Amino acid sequence: MTAPFLHIRGLRKDYGIVNAVKDVNLTVERGEFMTFLGPSGSGKSTTLYILAGFENPTAGDILLNGESLIATPSHKRNIGMVFQRYTLFPHLSVGENIAFPLKVRRWGKAAIDARVRKMLQLVRLEGFEDRKPAQMSGGQQQRVALARALAYDPPVLLMDEPLSALDKKLREEIQHEIRRIHQETEVTILYVTHDQEEALRLSDRIAVFSKGVIDQIGTGPELYADPATRFVAEFIGDSDFVTCRILSAKDGRADLSIGAGASISGVPVHGTAVAGGTAALMLRPERLSLRREAAREGTSGLSASVTDITFLGSSIHVAAAAPSGETISVRLPFGHEATSGLSRGDTVSLDFDPETAHVFCG
Amino acid sequence: MTLLTEPDNRTAAPRARSVRSRNFALTVPALVLLVVFFILPVVSLLLRSVMEPEPGLDNYRALLGSTTYLKIFLNTFSVSALVTIVTLAIGFPVAWALAIMPSRWASIVFAVLLLSMWTNLLTRTYAWMVLLQRTGVINKTLMGLGLISEPLPLVNNLVGVTIGMTYIMLPFIILPLYGVIRKIDPAILQAAALCGATRRQALTRILIPLAAPGMVSGALMVFVMSLGYFVTPALLGGTANMMLAELIAQFVQSLVNWGMGGAAALVLLIVTLTLYAVQLRLFGTARMEGR
Ligand SMILES: Nc1ncnc2c1ncn2[C@@H]1O[C@H](COP(=O)(O)OP(=O)(O)OP(=O)(O)O)[C@@H](O)[C@H]1O
Ligand SMILES: [Mg+2]
Repeated sequence: MTAPFLHIRGLRKDYGIVNAVKDVNLTVERGEFMTFLGPSGSGKSTTLYILAGFENPTAGDILLNGESLIATPSHKRNIGMVFQRYTLFPHLSVGENIAFPLKVRRWGKAAIDARVRKMLQLVRLEGFEDRKPAQMSGGQQQRVALARALAYDPPVLLMDEPLSALDKKLREEIQHEIRRIHQETEVTILYVTHDQEEALRLSDRIAVFSKGVIDQIGTGPELYADPATRFVAEFIGDSDFVTCRILSAKDGRADLSIGAGASISGVPVHGTAVAGGTAALMLRPERLSLRREAAREGTSGLSASVTDITFLGSSIHVAAAAPSGETISVRLPFGHEATSGLSRGDTVSLDFDPETAHVFCG
Repeated sequence: MTLLTEPDNRTAAPRARSVRSRNFALTVPALVLLVVFFILPVVSLLLRSVMEPEPGLDNYRALLGSTTYLKIFLNTFSVSALVTIVTLAIGFPVAWALAIMPSRWASIVFAVLLLSMWTNLLTRTYAWMVLLQRTGVINKTLMGLGLISEPLPLVNNLVGVTIGMTYIMLPFIILPLYGVIRKIDPAILQAAALCGATRRQALTRILIPLAAPGMVSGALMVFVMSLGYFVTPALLGGTANMMLAELIAQFVQSLVNWGMGGAAALVLLIVTLTLYAVQLRLFGTARMEGR
């Protein structure tokens, strides 16, 4: 069996009594775009900083092509990085910034010039060579930083929330650039963000961080369709949770009931389900259908009363209260027949395919 | 009615001007003070240098035409340059360490620095005399350890002046350098490291260029202050390397030759102002274009 391209094994980092990273395990394939997604303080940056060699792990190892990186100092790791803050060298021009890693590698002048030109072309900043960083916009500076980090063809590129200082429109524009550059260069990228949309747009796979561990690793659709924990379900896509009672559980499927409603069978279950215990049923607003009558026997539906209707352009958002009082959102396309004449206080039935719902226990 | 309640632009402009002139009036006492205590003495010295003992440039001719005096000028410049270099060499690592150490420790070091600055100059210079003299603590310790058999000549020579002046000048270079280094984002140095730069390359290619404005202004301050220093060279230096301030003191106190004293002082002033102008030119308005 060949060793994985990049292997993070049992990584742990303590700052005194603060446990920043608990136990991170991850393999990344060559050329993959892997995103670390998670809330603030979940240990994403710390993991990246250990990869860069700025921090030493308390325990664990990082293997690149089967060889440990831990003992190698930052300047010999040959890894590229784009930081959250602007880190261009302020006293050097754009061209000199991109040439810097090549100069310390003692490349010849002609080779450096050619490479700088190629990199500027890659990030579409031809003609900006002689500008100083202070004369560039934030987005341009980050593109130069990307060019500088890619100039020496690193096997791995780290990016720590490189777009968080930019406004939404510019952010989307540069996301497209990053995707294109990833495809053109085939560099392996580890990307940190806490913006799920950004993660979904860019990544091949996403590692969802929570409190110093990775809760789940998978492609965007996998995480959306099959979240392993309630945390992942909340983080990827929109979701509402309704308290339910487990009637029985077997082979990863559970039968359950909501309030006094009928039993719903065959819902995928996560965690240890105990018959008679309560659990949280996850429902996605776009996966519910709405009928204007009370729930019938024998359907996977629950009765709810409409509390709010919001028109959002292409879609209509209906908020309804379950018998337990919990709010469930339903998103319907504009003009959907069920919405015509719908008003607050109406009793409706919300139906869903048990396969698309998930129950989280404990 | 509206004119009374809402003053428009036409009335606002003269009002701003009148505020400015009233503010200027407030500075008049300070200006008078400046003229009486700083400008008048300098002007009178200038006048005496060209009027005494008789009108003409004889004093300047004597000063710049004699090898003895020229040697003193040269000595003044070389001692100041040496002190500046040594101060910079010690001050830069100290400022760098202060910038990256935990702020609680840094404030302790600053307290020590300031305390030494507030201690009487004469006291500090005598303290160095006690440490450096033939029978002083340093020589006794080194001899006690058997490292030397004869006491080292540490005072009444260039070594003594350099040590004493460097010590006094250090805060003047550490403070501006600290300010500049503190403003450099540590992530920039992390980026340099990931680009493949060794610590040495990061220092010479990134950190020092970024700290250059602080280094230049600190070095210039030290150099200029050293040019006119009197107490430390007088006490720790030898007769062989007299400095300009000592010469001026001799002209005025021993020889009562105000003409020559004034001429020497003026030469010093012109050199100082020239250096100041050069610094303003290089780092004054544009500073580093990058920031
Ligand atoms: N140098 C440090 N000293 C002490 N604690 C630290 C240090 N660096 C990080 N931490 C702590 O470690 C935890 C993880 O931090 P980390 O920066 O990895 O989070 P993150 O996932 O990158 O968050 P964000 O999205 O806010 O950047 C946090 O609780 C943080 O306070
Ligand atoms: Mg972070």
